[in-house]
Amino acid sequence: MGEEEDKQTILETLQKKKGKSKFYLKDFYKMLPDMKARAVKNLVNKMVGEGTLEYWSSGSTTLIGLKGVGKQAHTEED
Amino acid sequence: MAFISSGYDPAKPMKDRITDIGPRYYEEFYPPIIKKNKGKWLYHEILEPGIIERVAESGDKLYVIRVGGCRLMSISHIREIMEIADKYCDGYVRWTTRNNVEFMVPDSKDKAMALKDDLLSRKQPGGCYKFPIGGTGASISNIVHTQGWIHCHTPATDASGTVKATLDVLFDQWENMKLPAKLRVSMACCLNMCGAVHCSDIAILGYHRKPPMIDAEYIDKMCEIPLAVAACPTGAIKPAKYELPDGTKVNSVSVNEPRCMFCGNCYTMCPSMPLADTEGDGIVLMAGGKISNRIDAPKFSKVVVAFIPNEQPRWPTMTTTIKRMVDTYSADANKYERLGQWAERIGWEKFFEKCELEFTHHLIDDFRDPAYYTWRQTSNFKFT
Amino acid sequence: MVEFKHKTPMIDELETGPWTSFVTDIKREHESRMENPKGIDFQTPQKCCDDLLGVLELSYKHGRTHWKHGGIVGVFGYGGGVIGRYCDQPEMFPAVAHFHTLRINQPMGHFYDTKFLESLMELWERRGSGLTNMHGSTGDIIFIGCTTVQLEEIFYEMTHNLNQDLGGSGSNLRTPSDCMGESMCEFACYDTQEICYQLTMEYQDELHRPAFPYKFKFKFDGCPNCCVASIARSDISFIGTWRDDIRIDQEAVKAYVGGEIKPNAGAHASRDWGAFDIQKEVIGLCPTQCMSWDGNKLEINTPECTRCMHCINVMPRALRHGLDTGASLLFGAKAPILDGAQMATLGVPFIKIESPYDEIKEKVIEPIWDWWMEEGKNRERLGELIKRQGMQKLLEVTGFKAIPQMIQEPRSNPYVFWREDEVPGGFKRDINEFRKYHQR
Ligand code: HEM
Ligand code: SF4
Ligand code: SF4
Ligand code: SF4
Ligand code: SF4
Repeated sequence: MGEEEDKQTILETLQKKKGKSKFYLKDFYKMLPDMKARAVKNLVNKMVGEGTLEYWSSGSTTLIGLKGVGKQAHTEED
Repeated sequence: MAFISSGYDPAKPMKDRITDIGPRYYEEFYPPIIKKNKGKWLYHEILEPGIIERVAESGDKLYVIRVGGCRLMSISHIREIMEIADKYCDGYVRWTTRNNVEFMVPDSKDKAMALKDDLLSRKQPGGCYKFPIGGTGASISNIVHTQGWIHCHTPATDASGTVKATLDVLFDQWENMKLPAKLRVSMACCLNMCGAVHCSDIAILGYHRKPPMIDAEYIDKMCEIPLAVAACPTGAIKPAKYELPDGTKVNSVSVNEPRCMFCGNCYTMCPSMPLADTEGDGIVLMAGGKISNRIDAPKFSKVVVAFIPNEQPRWPTMTTTIKRMVDTYSADANKYERLGQWAERIGWEKFFEKCELEFTHHLIDDFRDPAYYTWRQTSNFKFT
Repeated sequence: MVEFKHKTPMIDELETGPWTSFVTDIKREHESRMENPKGIDFQTPQKCCDDLLGVLELSYKHGRTHWKHGGIVGVFGYGGGVIGRYCDQPEMFPAVAHFHTLRINQPMGHFYDTKFLESLMELWERRGSGLTNMHGSTGDIIFIGCTTVQLEEIFYEMTHNLNQDLGGSGSNLRTPSDCMGESMCEFACYDTQEICYQLTMEYQDELHRPAFPYKFKFKFDGCPNCCVASIARSDISFIGTWRDDIRIDQEAVKAYVGGEIKPNAGAHASRDWGAFDIQKEVIGLCPTQCMSWDGNKLEINTPECTRCMHCINVMPRALRHGLDTGASLLFGAKAPILDGAQMATLGVPFIKIESPYDEIKEKVIEPIWDWWMEEGKNRERLGELIKRQGMQKLLEVTGFKAIPQMIQEPRSNPYVFWREDEVPGGFKRDINEFRKYHQR
């Protein structure tokens, strides 16, 4: 699969999830089971760089989700 | 206040963006005497508490004055440190891992002694030292700590305040080297323990004792329930329906209260699950840990007081209990013996007797597998 | 006189006593911001220090924090380096309603010159609260308190003008940190600053972008005294050590015995412990009893020495570590959350620490990361993975041979899970062949 298709798979999987907008990096491994963990990581981070995904940090753990989606997204805008 | 741009364009965040450049190269900040003698230091000697002479193979001498710092430091205070560093240390200064500041004076002991007098003469308006000197050798060094009520969302106590109160009480042990060995005190304001308190001679730990409240009316609007459920390390949170007084049914969560370990992770994920509580929150004291491999292996600190209420602003029960442990240890331990080594030699039952600490069932470990290894599997013990 | 909006009687009680008062210090910053002799156009509200004191006073009154967490704020493309922070009483304390933290990657060894410090201070005074932590527990410089829009502005100025980057937080490599090591300490067995810097630079991507199931820490201690506590708080702990003889200066030993040099570098000088007794204080406390002193010559039986540092700490002018130096690598320390605290476990008893550190990167760090990324559960630290899958697995991943140095004692149960390939003939057997000799 090409990179664009992989990105599409990620976006579609995320859009399908109801009631939950933030995911652990490991959850992305499952979306692309044939890819090496490191490659998935690089792709996810690239998508953040392109502005389609964004990080959420608890201070100790980082979650990742679609940009601007999630119940706290609004309250956290300045 | 008018907004002034740095040049950053929010519409084009990647434009001219510089990333992944790391810290500055440390060697830029070495004083010349360190650049020259790095790796070739011969020995050091503590001339008096807080003042260390370091001698290199080349014969060069470096005088280091260690002063305590509040971890929370204003830039006005840092600028005063810079002014001192410019005057006495050719513009170089360093911090230690325990939030102390070290002024490094090359070559001249006289200059170092002049610096000492200068430092001690600087006081805050309330009479506190700006630059207390000490923390070397068999003393109590600065207390490392976390954020507390100043800046975190899960603390069960304040960090800077408990530390200030404790250091005021232990100040004599900071500026002298009278203890059998060094004694390290650390503070963390919740059980996440952002600081390395678990291996300290004495650890002050903030602890909650009540599970989170649930803001049922708002939780589904403010939080994602699956995330709150997943946040809990003990699996205590489950999705649940809740009926509001007006009869509407809302999605919420329930907390299996006996399973809650009061960590606050749920509140991190979900602002509708606050757990701070005036009566519930307070202090745990731990003792007997160490990091160094000297003589024996590093040790964890053990819980010796399960709970002390918050008594801000000065936490007198906590500080007198700590002081009593320090004094008892100081009077009873052998030279070079760390607090934990002393407690193990005399036996923990004797530790409780000598330190006049009450033993309660809370102090017996029941947390998962390792607990068993802390119970006694022998008939050998001491009567107290 | 600069005015303070909030009455703070409780925290004002922390303005007396000998130890430096952080309350006085925050007030000082408020005064400096209000007087503002340089005419700075503050980008974070000018009165934030005053409001911070107000929030703190309220917490002292209530016995409860007034901060909320905010996870989305950060700088674009980085998963760490920023902690989002909101006040839960924004109307009462508008100047700290948004009061986020930045973690700045500290220079190794925490050395500074005043020029660089001033550039940091100037930036933080103009764009932030003027309050810092020097330093946070992981080692970073912590800038406490700025508004959301300022995060990118600060990052931009810091990278463009100060050549300085943020540190780590979240599920990534955390800012590595080190002891002062060779820069000033004669006990150091390798250059802690150099390896700390080189690995920080090598792994910038892992430091800034989430790569792992949870946080990962390297810490570098130059010797077994462990001043940065690597053994208790890092996933890979580097502890300096050596393989050859402790170097002994017999004349200096005699000087210690004769009372000419203060024992333990003068660390016990404020109390009268009596005359130095080498037999009792050094020979007798050596944990392996590998030292002897006949009144004239000190001898150490090197193969028995475990390099605990005690004798060297007591007589630094007479004893120095050996010359064949390197480090022991220990793995998997973590805080008590969740399965109880763990000290790091010895996995590589000895390795040379030499730039460019290829063996460490290729045989240790990267294979371990690959393993943990594949097998680690969400929020599982390396130490927990090692516990769950066994120390054998760690050795399999790193390729180091099992040796008795790695353990305290051998197992006390015989329940070895033999692998099929370790047993001659494997596990598949012919039941009919067996039945020829054994009735049903
Ligand atoms: C579940 C575990 C943890 C959570 C949820 C957590 C969360 C946080 C949060 C929210 C902060 C921000 C405080 C502030 O500046 O407002 C923080 C700070 C920090 N945490 Fe943690 N933490 C956890 C465990 C740890 C551990 C185990 C360590 C270190 C070993 C650590 C090290 C730090 C450090 C160094 C800081 C920077 C501020 C400071 O030094 O106090 N954290 N943590
Ligand atoms: S120890 Fe707990 S309360 Fe304190 S700063 Fe860390 S996470 Fe916050
Ligand atoms: S405080 Fe911790 S243990 Fe208790 S419910 Fe919340 S997440 Fe679970
Ligand atoms: S760990 Fe060892 S080398 Fe590093 S500063 Fe401490 S005593 Fe020196
Ligand atoms: S380093 Fe420790 S084990 Fe080795 S000789 Fe000295 S005291 Fe004994």
